[in-house]
Order: sequence, then C-alpha cells, then structure tokens
Amino acid sequence: MAYSEKLIEHYENPRNIGSFEKDDAGVGTGLVGAPACGDVMKLQIKVSPEGIIEDAKFKTFGCGSAIASSSLVTEWVKGKSLDEAGEIKNTDIAEELALPPVKIHCSVLAEDAIKAAINDYKEKAAAPAKGEAAE
Amino acid sequence: MSSNDNHKGEGHIHTHQDSPCWSCRGSVDQRAPFCHACGMIQAPRPGDEFQRLGMKADFDLDPKDLEKRYFAFQRKFHPDRFATKTSREKQLSLQHATDLNEAYDRLKAPLSRAEALLESKGAGKQDQARTESDPELLMEAMESREALADAETADEVAKLEARTRMEVEVSEEALSVAFAADDLEGATNIVTRLKYLLKLLQETSRKRLSLHN
Ligand SMILES: [Zn+2]
Repeated sequence: MAYSEKLIEHYENPRNIGSFEKDDAGVGTGLVGAPACGDVMKLQIKVSPEGIIEDAKFKTFGCGSAIASSSLVTEWVKGKSLDEAGEIKNTDIAEELALPPVKIHCSVLAEDAIKAAINDYKEKAAAPAKGEAAE
Repeated sequence: MSSNDNHKGEGHIHTHQDSPCWSCRGSVDQRAPFCHACGMIQAPRPGDEFQRLGMKADFDLDPKDLEKRYFAFQRKFHPDRFATKTSREKQLSLQHATDLNEAYDRLKAPLSRAEALLESKGAGKQDQARTESDPELLMEAMESREALADAETADEVAKLEARTRMEVEVSEEALSVAFAADDLEGATNIVTRLKYLLKLLQETSRKRLSLHN
C-alpha cells in the first residue's frame, strides 16, 4: 500500500508529542480509542483566557495513520478558537494525509479526540474552581 | 418457499427443519451432514460452530472432548473416503472439512469461543472501529501502554507481561461466570477487555524480544 508523503512525514516526525498536567486550569483532555484494536489516543489542548488554543499535545498508541492523524490535528488547532477547532472534520484529516480507506477510522478517532478535549475544557471551565465552595 | 413441499402440509412444526436429500429426495434433518436414508453427503447447512461439532453451546467445554469430536468429524469428511466418489461429493466433503476446521479453531481459543457463543445467542458482532465509550478501559489502556513505553529493561517488560497474562486468566474466568449467568452484556464487555489484553500482550512480547537483542 502506498502511503502519502505527508502521512509518512507526520509518522516519522510527529509534532507535539507529550502531555500537559490534566488538572491544570485551561487544559482540556480528550481520551478516545478502541483498546480492543490496540488504539488509544490522548489529545490535550491549552486554552487562553480569551478562548484561543495556545498549545496542543498528544500521545497515541496505535498504527502509523493514527499517530499521523493526531499529530496533524495538534498542528491544525493551534491558534484556533474552540469553535473553529470543533469544526475540524475527519474527512479533512483523511484528505490531507490521503489515508487509504481501511485507515479512515484513524481520522475519525482524531476528530473524536479533539471534540472530547474541547468538551472536557468547557466542562472544567463551567464547574466551580477547586477550593471554592460549590454554590 | 418451494412449491413441491406439499407432503408436509399438515401444519406440523419441526424444531429442526427437514429438507430433501439431493440424491434420493428423502427427508433429511437440516443439520445432518449425511442422508439418513441413502448415506449421501449433504451440502453444509447454516449453523453455528457448536452445532458443527455436535456440542452444547456453552463457554465451558472440555478441550479433550472438543478435540475428540473434531477428529471424529474430520475422518468422516476425509478426502480418502471420497477418492472414488463423484466430483459433487468430493466438493461437498471439502466444504464440510473447511467449515469443520474453522469451527474447531474458533472454539479452541477462549476469546473466539466467547465471540462464537455471543453470535449464536444473537448478541451481534461488535463494531471494532467504534470509539470505546468505557472511560475506565481507555484510561487503563493508556496507562499500561505508557508503562510499556517507559520500561527500559527486559525485566521490567517481563513483569508487565506476567501481570497482563494474569489479567487474561482472570478475564477468561469472568467470562465463564458471565455466560453461566447468561449475562450477555457483561460477557460482551469482558470480550472487549480480553481483546485489549491480548493486544497488549502482543506489544509486550514484541518489546521484550527487541530488548533481548
Ligand atoms: Zn438420501
């Protein structure tokens, strides 16, 4: 199977590998995957008080396409607002990396991951800060 | 469906449907591989793996009994017995032998046996590519993969591997309990977990081998 150059580039030199402290304010964490297939993907965003994604990191265990998809998404979301980042579609990822049809689910995983990270951030922002009375 | 089955038009309901033998037109139990009347080999009928080996659909089975039944059926469909038969009979025996091998392989391993049993009970196949919605399993998967990635010596990896093997055994026992209680949802969840554990085991042994070199 012939993989695209972009895919191989992201797989061999993945961007933004790592973690943020998930309890830090401004950090949203998305954990998705299909452990039964060996795929787990953690994607984290660091959001400014103005609601802009300043930084993103990921940790993915799975095939090369899953790693490349999450690497690409961390690149894409930087500098975007939460709403803009939430509009990223798996088809955009699959197209950019020219994923073969059997690997489309990897791009779905990456879309799920960024959506989950955004939701996690929003839930944390809506909840009362730690140490304050919940009222 | 066909119009020539008016000989059983009394509204009599068979538990196992009969169908005519292709050779003597006699009535044959749909699940029987050979005609009762003329002994002719029949086309394989749809049926689950347990039926193919003539066993009760149960997760707990005696591996020796399974093997014994497998070899007995294998002899019945052996090519030597069909060497002088027509090409149709040869072809049918080959189909039976293939089905039999597949059924045996599937029932041998606990994970695939559990999947076969779930299917036979109508608890449909899971969508593999589905994003896992069990956050606990995801968290566990992420943590164990991180621990494996951080392990630097063959010893550390061997420890992770031993622990995973133990978890596999525990899950297989849990499957037995779930099926005994007819808890299909529970069994489905354990199947997912078992798949994850076996995948992890592949990764641990791969890493252990690479560290040995
Ligand atoms: Zn017959």
